[in-house]
Amino acid sequence: MSAPIEELAASAEKERDPNLLLEVSGLRTYFHVMDGTVKAVDGVDFALPRGETLGLVGESGCGKSVTALTIMRLIDTPPGEIVEGEIWFDGRDLTTLPDEEIRKVRGGEIAMIFQEPMTSLNPVFTVGNQIAEAVKLHQGVGDKEAMERAIESLKAVGVPDPEKRVKQYPHELSGGLRQRVMIAMALSCEPKLLIADEPTTALDVTIQAQILELIKEIQQRTGTALLLITHDLAVVAETVQRIAVMYAGVIVEQGTVEEVLLDPKHPYTQGLLSSIPGKQKRGRELSVIKGVVPNPFRMPPGCKFEPRCPFAWELCHTHEPDLVELGRADRRSRCFLQTPAGALRRPEFAAAAKQAVRDAVTGWET
Amino acid sequence: MATEVEAVDVKRLTPAELEALELERPDYEIKLESLNQWQLAWRRFKKHRLAVVGTVLFLAMLAVGAFGPIFFPYDYSVVPTPDQIVYAGRPPSLAHPFGETGSLQRDVLALVVNGARLSLVIGVGAALVGAVLGAIVGGIAGYFGGRVDNILMRVVDIMLSLPLLFVILVASKFLGGGSWYTILVIFALFSWQGISRLVRSLFLSLRGQDFVDAARAAGVGDYRIVFRHILPNAVSPIIVATTLVVAIVIVEEAFVSFLGFGVDATQPTWGNVLSNSLTFIPVGNWWWPLFPGLAIVITILAINFMGDGLRDALDPRAKD
Repeated sequence: MSAPIEELAASAEKERDPNLLLEVSGLRTYFHVMDGTVKAVDGVDFALPRGETLGLVGESGCGKSVTALTIMRLIDTPPGEIVEGEIWFDGRDLTTLPDEEIRKVRGGEIAMIFQEPMTSLNPVFTVGNQIAEAVKLHQGVGDKEAMERAIESLKAVGVPDPEKRVKQYPHELSGGLRQRVMIAMALSCEPKLLIADEPTTALDVTIQAQILELIKEIQQRTGTALLLITHDLAVVAETVQRIAVMYAGVIVEQGTVEEVLLDPKHPYTQGLLSSIPGKQKRGRELSVIKGVVPNPFRMPPGCKFEPRCPFAWELCHTHEPDLVELGRADRRSRCFLQTPAGALRRPEFAAAAKQAVRDAVTGWET
Repeated sequence: MATEVEAVDVKRLTPAELEALELERPDYEIKLESLNQWQLAWRRFKKHRLAVVGTVLFLAMLAVGAFGPIFFPYDYSVVPTPDQIVYAGRPPSLAHPFGETGSLQRDVLALVVNGARLSLVIGVGAALVGAVLGAIVGGIAGYFGGRVDNILMRVVDIMLSLPLLFVILVASKFLGGGSWYTILVIFALFSWQGISRLVRSLFLSLRGQDFVDAARAAGVGDYRIVFRHILPNAVSPIIVATTLVVAIVIVEEAFVSFLGFGVDATQPTWGNVLSNSLTFIPVGNWWWPLFPGLAIVITILAINFMGDGLRDALDPRAKD
């Protein structure tokens, strides 16, 4: 249900909290393709205060990467289109910013780290060249100083022998080193917001831990805000303060890491937690969330999770729940169980959630 | 071969000893020389024997075209006196190693050498202009896609569906053929289509690459993305295609000149030298068509070998 016009107008006029670096509201990004329209992001709201960290969690295809690309305005139009919504970043609405301006924001104020370090660097240039290019674009310095900055930022991300590394080509570096180069590039212009899209998915486990540690350390040292996109609950648990869980283009639950992971208020989050293999479950079949992500061309009429939800009833099939506040503005769940209508069924869910958390926690501890 | 290596139990060493051991060990990774893709390509190219031979031949031919006319000058207006003329020409001799033509007693060597200059200028020039045109058109189509792509590629389709040789014949007739630069321009205008298709497909796949997204995310503008990030990655296939276009243009120029629609006889090209020899073949002076014909065959073969080697050497997926 879209909000009435007056309400939208009111929200546009209201004073923005200067403490909020990024405020995404009612964002809808659709892709018009041959078979119809894919509503990849279908009404996403979240806010990120300056210097804080937020994890955007969800399975493949839930729209988390598209959300990030929309913030950067990197969606190809056509087929993509930002249908609705606002992205307030540091006092400006990025959705209406002219191309010229958005280019200064990209890399300069919002930097992004991509999933694939193996292919995110241009094979024909030295890594020094590539970092220096970003510096030259945004800081307006000469070749020599840009290269010095490149060396400095490589040093800052723990690359040994940065003076020699800047002269090397990407194919001469390992995956972990390349991801460090990507991070150095992202940080070289001291951005206010760092978006990391699955920064560790393509790396092996030991390197994953190092890179996460590095991102965390740099985030704390430089005070940049971090939007971490991942499908890995363990990664968010270790890295960020707050979580937004996405499913089929909408946020289904948000709150602090502790709240969401230790006291889930949405059956999808509960399902994710109970599918973590744990100690108690040894020898038993792994539990999974039954069913598959809905077909993007034929979304369920009511709650998008309803076809897979073990707690769903008629209301869920016919009506879509809102993202309701649970006591605080930044603790929300998109589930009828958390509304008066679901009061009777709530204890059953709470018990299942408690069990899932208990199993998951013991799983993490092993 | 086997060298004595003292076995050391690393676990028992003190940290200081370990460090000393580390220092003794050469730092392999940093000592590795850093080769860029051109150096790597050169390494692979050198291994391709035929390609090296082809390149040497082609460079030799270019040298002949560049410096030969200094040693074997040719002037159309110099006409022998009637008493010097032997109707059928003279076969190869020490004074004229490629023989002399019939009728005007031209030195065939001088014709071939001077012909090399124009044939190669037209071949290489038209291919280079065509490559630039093709890269621009294909690059725009591939990078921007959508309607721009559609319009440009339909133009290419139309041009490719024209019977090329007839169009060139007509064009050279109407644009006042005869001078070498008109011929060059005509060939340039008809040799970019293939390259533009190639460049378009390269750009289409390259613009979807992660590093292009990463560059855009770093705030790089369209112009720099096209020329600094995408084009350098597409250069190798463009080079290979261009060498092959050189060969095609040389053959086509010879063909067009042979039919009398190319460069006129005042300026020799391999094609028009061959063309003039036609009437004298029945008289049995084989040396007149043989040497310019050989020059064409050798050049085309050399270019094709070179192109083959370049394709292998510049293939980014090639492993040494």
